[in-house]
Amino acid sequence: MVNPVLLIVVPLGLAFAIPLFNLFWKATAKYVPPVALGFNLVVSLLLLPKVLENPVIVSIGGWRPPFCINLVAGPVGVLFSAIIALIGLLVSVYALDYIKEGPTEKYHMLYLLLLTGATGVVLTGDIFNLFVFFEILCISSYALVAYSRDKAGIESAVKYLIQGSVGSSLLLIGIGLLYGQFGTLNMADIAGKINSASPISLFVPMVLLITGLGVEAAIFPLNAWLPDAHSSAPSSVSAILSGIAIEVGLYAVVRVIFTIFGASSIFLFLAFLGILTLLVGEMCAFSQNNIKRMLAYSSIGQIGLILFALAIATSYGVTGGLFQLVSHTLSKALLFLTAGYMIYRVGSSDISALEGMGRKMPLTCLAFTIGAFSLIGLPPFIGFPSKFLVVQAALATKETYFCVLIGLALLGTVIEGAYFFRVVQVLYFKGENNQGSKDAPIAVLVPVFIFVVLIIVVGVYPKILTDVLSSAAAEFLNRMNYIGNVLG
Amino acid sequence: MSFLDSYIYYIGAFGLILTGLYIILVKHNLIKVIIGLGILDTGVNLFLISIGYITKGTAPIFSRPEIDSEHMVDPVPQALVLTAIVIGVAVLALALSLAIRLYQHYETLNLRKIKEQKW
Repeated sequence: MVNPVLLIVVPLGLAFAIPLFNLFWKATAKYVPPVALGFNLVVSLLLLPKVLENPVIVSIGGWRPPFCINLVAGPVGVLFSAIIALIGLLVSVYALDYIKEGPTEKYHMLYLLLLTGATGVVLTGDIFNLFVFFEILCISSYALVAYSRDKAGIESAVKYLIQGSVGSSLLLIGIGLLYGQFGTLNMADIAGKINSASPISLFVPMVLLITGLGVEAAIFPLNAWLPDAHSSAPSSVSAILSGIAIEVGLYAVVRVIFTIFGASSIFLFLAFLGILTLLVGEMCAFSQNNIKRMLAYSSIGQIGLILFALAIATSYGVTGGLFQLVSHTLSKALLFLTAGYMIYRVGSSDISALEGMGRKMPLTCLAFTIGAFSLIGLPPFIGFPSKFLVVQAALATKETYFCVLIGLALLGTVIEGAYFFRVVQVLYFKGENNQGSKDAPIAVLVPVFIFVVLIIVVGVYPKILTDVLSSAAAEFLNRMNYIGNVLG
Repeated sequence: MSFLDSYIYYIGAFGLILTGLYIILVKHNLIKVIIGLGILDTGVNLFLISIGYITKGTAPIFSRPEIDSEHMVDPVPQALVLTAIVIGVAVLALALSLAIRLYQHYETLNLRKIKEQKW
């Protein structure tokens, strides 16, 4: 059997080996991330059928949980690590051609570290270990945002760093309070003991944990850093930040609420917060002229929708939320990658500068259009079944407030449609038709093509994913099962 | 006095945390904000340490019988703080190097004057 520890150890080791490789043979550095992430993808896919039957618990150091640091490779963990490895692999292939300037070996090292951190967060079963992996993710993304060293990148990185590290400090205080009360750091152990504590003494650590993790997850009042950081980073980094980093933050928030606290009383508050995030994100996206900022705000909106779907907290709702998460990850990564190459070609990120690109770079623009349609939720792309499932789940609760909130979410979708159609119109129906077409290089088109295939295939046959997603949803909803699995 | 005796570290820790947060929220100079981050980190670390601290406690070494197990401090928070310090150093180093770059671009460290990115 493959050990889930390899999912963390191999990329971590290879990440720190990159400077060494670079010392002896300069050309190798950029091929390390695709190799490591390809390995992760294979291991995750091998593990997936096994963990659907029984979660694999890895105890480190020969102690039994709760005394050791343990990894919990359940359906959620392995599903997320497979997504992280898949997106990471495709984006790293894109980066082979896209990242040419600056200290490229440092880029590849930080990139691999970011994804290692993300994989660690989703696999760990120990809350302090979660904090450590979270910091690996955050610190490497601060550095990657500043990679291009221009004015905008540095300014956004400073903003991101200040907000992110205040969030991490709050998270650490919350962990300390939990440890003070329960004397353990194992998430399952804390979850098992949580009922013995008085609700009022749990409120403060819960608020601190949600606030701390919510900064990275970009939940509404805490997301001021996101549009700056996502729009001024290099496009391959934006794709990863939008596709992986905020989803991992959201995973951590959901894990804390569902598994550790089992706090069903705040779900309505979260649903409300999700819709607020959605509307704020979509409305700001509507008024943007810079295409990357527009995509960044649209990420905020999508995160709001995912949070809302997860907060419905029925089996349907959580499945729909996870489905929406996968769909957002694929579509938004595709959008950032294609937009990145278009910006590279015209040298400006204004939407008006992209006039007539549909004829100059036909394949890239077609892929962008598919990503945009998928994000809006048009069939036959992946966004359609995921949004459909969310709407169905909200209506199935038969609660008035969920129906009202999903109505607002659909209003958000209309706004989303408006601004994406505007961009598509600029791409295809404006500008003169006098320049010859020259598309992006092959290293860019291959990952883009795979993204398009995935988006259409899953859109047409959502059954491929729904089984995995519903057992992942069951892991979130059935916390007694999780505790039993870990503590044995 | 007994109240102070048992809670002095917690009071100190939260004092540091609040001071740090105040500096981060109010000060305009990036270097001061980074100092605030450092103070916030220190406060959190002191808080974690004081969770496991016992008055007149000593290191938990089980191979030495002269140490009474009732006087041993909890080693877990110390391990946590060790990790947290390392993380804090990394963040601080990155923040300072970004501050240098920021100064090269804008020739000021006043965050209120750096407003290229906005909603």
